[in-house]
Amino acid sequence: MSAPIIQCQQLSHIYSGKVALNQVSFELDAREPIGLVGPNGAGKTTLLSILSGFLHPTSGTVRVFGHPPGSAQLIGKISALPQDARLDPSFTLAEQLVFYARLQGFTRQQAVLEASRVLEIFALKDAAHEKPLALSHGMAKRVAIAQALIGKPALVLLDEPTTGLDPMNVRAVRSIIVELSSTTTFVISSHDLAELDRLCQQILLLENGILQIDKVRVNEQQATSRFITLQMENCPAAEVIAKLIVLEGVLQITNPQKNEFIVEYNPDLQPGMDLQLMHCIQTNHWQYRQLSHGKTLEEKLFSRNS
Amino acid sequence: MQPAFFNHLLLICAFELKRGFATRKSILSLVTFAVIWYFILLYPLRFAAELLVQEKGLQAELSIFDVIGFGSIQHWPIPEFGVFWHFALMIFPMLSIMLAADQTCSDRERGTLRFIVIRSSRNSVFFGRFIGAMVIQALWISAAAFSTLGLTLTRDPSLLSFAIPDLPILIVNLILVVLPFTAMMAALSAKVKSTRQATLWAILIWMFLAGIISSLAYYLPVLAFLKCLIPGYQLSDMAQLSGWRTLSLAYIPLLQSLILLILGRWIMARQAL
Repeated sequence: MSAPIIQCQQLSHIYSGKVALNQVSFELDAREPIGLVGPNGAGKTTLLSILSGFLHPTSGTVRVFGHPPGSAQLIGKISALPQDARLDPSFTLAEQLVFYARLQGFTRQQAVLEASRVLEIFALKDAAHEKPLALSHGMAKRVAIAQALIGKPALVLLDEPTTGLDPMNVRAVRSIIVELSSTTTFVISSHDLAELDRLCQQILLLENGILQIDKVRVNEQQATSRFITLQMENCPAAEVIAKLIVLEGVLQITNPQKNEFIVEYNPDLQPGMDLQLMHCIQTNHWQYRQLSHGKTLEEKLFSRNS
Repeated sequence: MQPAFFNHLLLICAFELKRGFATRKSILSLVTFAVIWYFILLYPLRFAAELLVQEKGLQAELSIFDVIGFGSIQHWPIPEFGVFWHFALMIFPMLSIMLAADQTCSDRERGTLRFIVIRSSRNSVFFGRFIGAMVIQALWISAAAFSTLGLTLTRDPSLLSFAIPDLPILIVNLILVVLPFTAMMAALSAKVKSTRQATLWAILIWMFLAGIISSLAYYLPVLAFLKCLIPGYQLSDMAQLSGWRTLSLAYIPLLQSLILLILGRWIMARQAL
């Protein structure tokens, strides 16, 4: 069994009297993208900054690939998109990315090719000789993500990667993460729960600097009941609930948002609940938009009974 | 494929040279300095040198330079170099405070330093940028010294053989003079948020340090050695020297720089980026 890529033990950080991280302990293995969620000020950026070596924790220990953040052994293995970090306005994108690649150990020629490669991933090759001030917010964000991919690092820490991007570029970022996740582990901090739901199997929830392990129950296979999330077109909610609750195996129906229903059921009594729901929808001539197994990430994290 | 610490130093230093000579801001600074230096050469430096030559011809007992406290100028075999020496001792430390103020502060505030630090050590960044700032200043100093040599040769080309041994003395000395000022700015830049703050703190710290240590030394003469901690402390003594003797005080800026660099590195290692 391989060693965890990130190990945090009793990690705390205090900013001028305010506790940003409080005794956070966890271990992460190299795997599918990992989501880091939590409200504003929960400590997400602080945690990513500590993992990147930009901040020193007040107490506790951190190891990334077995080394303390900032150590020479991590150069080229770990990369980051820091929140709100901007490139130097005095130099072109190509000049800066080539410089970064050279710091990672590329020769001059290799660095030029590598800078060109990462810019091309984000359709920015034409802007290579522009200076950062000439870029739009979205382009600047894409360049900042592009620099994190130089040298194909094993671990990439992305702080709010899709904030400020248009839907097309959000989609592009998502597909790049999916494409690279076989060789690179991504840790993604975001407020976009739908995005994280699509990308991440593992979620870390931070609230007031404390890691909330119990709230995140991703592995529903071990639970006695299961969930199906049903999104309908305009429909009479009361009637839908009344018809669904009487189906065999259904334990509870909740209606957290307009036209969205969460069906909790006993899989032992009704393993084919999805087919039963479809049949009920067809019989009643309702229109549905989406039927998915499990709860949405938002429901997992923030519903009252979770 | 991990580049060593020295490789990073070279890369960061080379990037600083690019910043120092190939960006719009740097070219503007260079042109401004060139224009100011041209007028210094053309008027005060040339006139003072001509006056010295005339006085030497008159064999007067008391020179005007003795009266105004610049008698040591006459000890330089080439008058232009004597005048340059005095001008440079005043101009380059001030220029150093301005030129070296932004070693890391702007990049840290913008977040650019994060892109760099994740690919190299904080030590490489700190020392690489310090060396870069020193190389840039060394080139400015050399350019100013060579332009003074040019002025000398336009007056009397036969002075070349006298000028050649003195030129490296001037350049090496001036590099040593700006060394502690650059180290002080490296340490301040690692802590403060902007170039302006770094410059203001440098002036304040320098004045308070000079004031406090001078007061202490006045009441307790045994503490006079603490004056060695003030960057530029040796300048007034250096101004009285000429030729290779100017290097006799080189230990002071070297010691100051060492202390300031240790302090700066300590700040950089602990600073949140």
